[in-house]
Amino acid sequence: MNVEASGFVSPTVDAALVGAQSYASAILNILEDSADETARLVDTQRAVLNILDDFAGERQRVEATQSALLNILDDANDEKLQLADTQRAVLNILDDFDAERTNAELANIELRREISERQRAETALQRAKAATEAANRELEAFSYSVAHDLRAPLRSIDGFSQALLEDFSDGLGDEAKTYLRHVRNSAQHMARLITDLLSLSRVSRAELGRTPVNLTTVTRGIIERLRRNDPHRTVEFVAPPEVPALADGALLAILLENLVGNAWKFTSKHSTARIELGWGEEGGQPVYFVRDDGAGFDMAYQAKLFSVFQRLHSVGDFDGTGIGLATCSRVIQRHGGRIWAEGAVEQGATFFFTLEDG
Amino acid sequence: MAGKIILLVEDNLHDEALTMRALRKHGIANEVIVARDGAEALDILFATGSHEGRPLAEMPEVVLLDLNLPKIGGFEVLKRLRADDRTRLLPIVILTSSGEERDLTEGYASGANSFVSKPVEFAEFSQAIQRLGMYWLLVNKAAPLPTAT
Repeated sequence: MNVEASGFVSPTVDAALVGAQSYASAILNILEDSADETARLVDTQRAVLNILDDFAGERQRVEATQSALLNILDDANDEKLQLADTQRAVLNILDDFDAERTNAELANIELRREISERQRAETALQRAKAATEAANRELEAFSYSVAHDLRAPLRSIDGFSQALLEDFSDGLGDEAKTYLRHVRNSAQHMARLITDLLSLSRVSRAELGRTPVNLTTVTRGIIERLRRNDPHRTVEFVAPPEVPALADGALLAILLENLVGNAWKFTSKHSTARIELGWGEEGGQPVYFVRDDGAGFDMAYQAKLFSVFQRLHSVGDFDGTGIGLATCSRVIQRHGGRIWAEGAVEQGATFFFTLEDG
Repeated sequence: MAGKIILLVEDNLHDEALTMRALRKHGIANEVIVARDGAEALDILFATGSHEGRPLAEMPEVVLLDLNLPKIGGFEVLKRLRADDRTRLLPIVILTSSGEERDLTEGYASGANSFVSKPVEFAEFSQAIQRLGMYWLLVNKAAPLPTAT
């Protein structure tokens, strides 16, 4: 472009104008180009912005993803915490289990100890049982020997005393005869002692077999035999038709033999007597009794009644061995029952007994 | 009852004397042979040992047998007598101090014809001996002796 031409309007102005015109168009072109360029730039810028926009979206997504990831991590963390809790719980359980196992092992040891203790006890029991059986056999041998060997000399003592009294009566004074009678009485008393002791030991050894027994029938038989042996006595026997019991028949017969025999004996100083058999119930359990109206006894000595060789009356008053009631007590003991007595001097005695456990 | 023999197997001299006295007292005058133990009783009955040559036809009418005997006990004597044809049916009475149930059972199981407990009281004892003598010598009929071989 020619700058000088712009101050002149001359013939040459046209030329200058033309020049200016081309100049201007050039500028315009340039401008146009520049505008294009701008537009392109704007486009580019827009594109960049778009890209940036997109990128921001992307970033948001990334951020979202990141937060999601963080959430996940958080969750994972929670999960981990929970897992740790669970693990702790499991460990606790394992701990507990361990304790449990230790307890079980201790219990096992205790159990084994108990078992071996029980085995020891059983062995001891077996040994005691064997010892008891041996003692029983020994007792049996002893009783047998008592029965056989102690009776023979007594028979001699009694027999030869009697032979002296019978065969040499003329040569013996009254005092000598009295002494010989004392010898005979003592021999006979000792024979009864032996019989009663044997009965006592038999009661202890006998097997116990319970069957239904009517005490009235048994007692009636005993009373009838006593009446035959002592026909001058007047003794009334009172009993209901049936006094039922579930007991060992043989042992019960020994019991009643002693109780009724005592009642018979201790009423012998009275002109008439009454012996009563009966029963009642106490706490749902049958309680039996044998009652007499004879010599009775002082309740102060009640405790001595059932001991062996304990007597409340002198042999001079009432004959006896002091074994009868001990035998009764043993019979009752074998049945798991109780026996006791009530009485007063010269007002009779009542013997009560039960035949069942409890 | 003359000629009928009683065999008393008894080791106790006093019991023997009392038994003899009771028999005599009650007028039983039969011959009484006494064996002091079980072995002697078997020798007498089977004519062996110190009794060899005794005529076997002279069997006692009854044997009164104690249980508690020296050498061979009463039960064993009883079993041996029952196992032999010559004495299988011989009347045998156990006469003992024992009244134990098991002795009674074993006595009868071994073949005793009777079982008597010797009472301690002399009057009872004397009466028991009298009854035994009367019953076995007068009342009872023994089995015929087996014919000698």
